Amino acid sequence: MGPPIIGVSDNIRRIRELVDHVANTGFNTVIFGESGVGKEVIAQSLYQKSPRCGKPFVKINCAALPEGLLESELFGYERGAFTGAEQKRKGKFQLAHGGVLLLDEIGDMSLFLQAKLLHVLQSGEFAPLGSEKDFKTDTWVIAATNHDLKQDIMEGKFREDLYYRLNIITIYLTPLRERPEDIPPLIDYYLQEYSLQLGGAHVQQPTPAVLEKLVHYQWPGNVRELQNVLKRMMVLGDCEKIIDELLDDHRTNSDGHGKPRSTPGAPRQGAGSDALHSLLEMGDKDSIDNGSFSLKEAKKKAIDQIEKEIIGYVLAKTDWNRSKAARILKVSYKTLLNKIAELNINPPTHKSDFMQ
Amino acid sequence: MSTPYKVLIIDDTEEVLSALCKYFEQKGYDVLCAANGLDGLKMIEDEKEGLDLIITDLVLPNISGVAVISIVKKKFPKLPVIAITGWGEHPEALAKEAKADLVMEKPFKLPELEQAAKALLTK
Repeated sequence: MGPPIIGVSDNIRRIRELVDHVANTGFNTVIFGESGVGKEVIAQSLYQKSPRCGKPFVKINCAALPEGLLESELFGYERGAFTGAEQKRKGKFQLAHGGVLLLDEIGDMSLFLQAKLLHVLQSGEFAPLGSEKDFKTDTWVIAATNHDLKQDIMEGKFREDLYYRLNIITIYLTPLRERPEDIPPLIDYYLQEYSLQLGGAHVQQPTPAVLEKLVHYQWPGNVRELQNVLKRMMVLGDCEKIIDELLDDHRTNSDGHGKPRSTPGAPRQGAGSDALHSLLEMGDKDSIDNGSFSLKEAKKKAIDQIEKEIIGYVLAKTDWNRSKAARILKVSYKTLLNKIAELNINPPTHKSDFMQ
Repeated sequence: MSTPYKVLIIDDTEEVLSALCKYFEQKGYDVLCAANGLDGLKMIEDEKEGLDLIITDLVLPNISGVAVISIVKKKFPKLPVIAITGWGEHPEALAKEAKADLVMEKPFKLPELEQAAKALLTK
């Protein structure tokens, strides 16, 4: 059995209330939240409070398997459906019949499988690979993701119709750093839990100073990270040292202002973004503000920049022997001359004196 | 005057919700409003058989309109429900599956909605 939903924050109170209201409906549900925040705990709580409790609870991670494998894992296959399919095999939909199927990391599912999943959700039927027969399925589908699926829809990575089909119930779990008031009850719960696992060992409660530090830490790995830290504290005993190391590591990895280096999901600042900035500034610096910016334009600039550098490099290597350079670049002599003119590639000055 | 009809309106866009509520209040209805499905559902449970009509957006935080309609239709099959959908959202098929009595697409004129409501209430 999964742990209860622990916490005193508004987010957690509200989720508990929501779970109590919808657990008996069996409506498709999506649980959104950062990695390690406890999405599976919510799914299990829904399951335990539903009339399906006692029936199968099947979980599959859509990000962990390549498309073909995920397809046969979900829907199963008949004997001889493909080379190596010597025995027929039940898919997760069949195994979860009457119970719950948790599709973890749904945002990573391919568009092809999204279409197949949509069909199952609409018709309540599925066909194993190589089977002529459709099977009825009565499965409560709960999906979990750390993606912003609306963003994925705009980028063409997630089907809008599937989104609405799944989001009959939507649950947002906020990151642990946004609800520090939940940290003390989580610590209490897990320390007790681990002490039981260790055969009832006496657990030293963290001192107020340690607790204070734990509450103020940012927890980029959310509850999972908290669990790991608590386990380490129980085994090694030296709470003070562990939390100080944690904070030190965190500081080293952050940008010097005590903020996390990058929140999960946010783009990392780095060499790539420097290149990006220089690219954006190649043309009109205000292009984004005045609306003249476009992806197409930026892409063209990026490609031009790369071409210019490569051609310039090869020309320098060949002492501006253009037919040699054209052969190395595998373009026609004429194309190369056009590119040189178009991209405004100039020979080094001392050479040009010599050549003219 | 007889007792006014009691209508629950659920929409997560504040301006839409307040406009709808004001309009129906002016028309003499007893109006309850909720900004998400969970609050809406709690009001439905609190009111028991007291409600006469529900008007709900389909895309809502936590419990979607689709779910609200299904739950209502299971518990109170006779309670009429109007679903309203926003432009660019496509859960109409779901609304029909959920057995809304009427699906209206935004934008619509407030008097149209009120007329449709009256028609359902006096049916």
